[in-house]
Amino acid sequence: MSNVEDNKSSHDQLSSQVFLDLVDSVIADVASECHRVARLGLDRDLEVVEEELRLSVEARAKVADPSNNLETNTKYVVDIFGQSHPPVATEVFNCMNCGRQIVAGRFAPHLERCMGKGRKARAKATRSTTASQNRNSRRNTSDNNQLASGPPGFEENVRKA
Amino acid sequence: MARSVKHSANRPPTPDEDVRDSPERDELTLGEIINIKLVESGEKENLMELVRDRLVESGWKDEMRIACREHVKKKGRKDVTVDELIRVITPKGRASVPDAIKEELLDRIHNFIRSAAL
Repeated sequence: MSNVEDNKSSHDQLSSQVFLDLVDSVIADVASECHRVARLGLDRDLEVVEEELRLSVEARAKVADPSNNLETNTKYVVDIFGQSHPPVATEVFNCMNCGRQIVAGRFAPHLERCMGKGRKARAKATRSTTASQNRNSRRNTSDNNQLASGPPGFEENVRKA
Repeated sequence: MARSVKHSANRPPTPDEDVRDSPERDELTLGEIINIKLVESGEKENLMELVRDRLVESGWKDEMRIACREHVKKKGRKDVTVDELIRVITPKGRASVPDAIKEELLDRIHNFIRSAAL
């Protein structure tokens, strides 16, 4: 009797051993597969998670850093060439109307004054011989411009200035 | 003429088949004998296929893959080694085999051992 039991328990042990051996093989397969996927970067989800983690860490650092002017930073987009553009265009050129050197970012307000909405500009125009013609055409174009560009209250604000 | 002597000619002579070798065969453990028989009869391959199918069906493999991914996330994907992954998932892997699968396999192995008349 004891012999049979001995046999059985040693058989059990053997069977367990074989079984564990089989399971270990499958485990090794899984590990090898996952290792390959990981090293080759084939797991898109993994990358996405890593990328998101990285971005969130960066974003947190930016928010926490008090020296950052958040508003200008959001406008500092980087284009496909890797160049970043300042929010206010800084190039300087000559106004075709008055010939002065104007910063591009300030050109529109300059034109408003230079071409006709302002008091001083209107006064300049009346001095020329074709004054009324110019004034009419300018007013038309500036009206058109105002209709096209500004909200309803815009014209009044402009006239006040 | 010296040039025609190949390097292989310089190797030490193959040792003769020693009488000492054969007693070692008797010292093979029972487990090793079983393993040899399993392989030779093709049963090992059948069992491997069976185990793989069952473990995939039951979702065990997916669980293991998730565990691997977790570890890779922690360590960073460039640093992991296969050995490390095996080390990490083996305890969990062995423990989480569903009982039914384990029973089925042990049964078959038992039968094999009995029929191998040992």
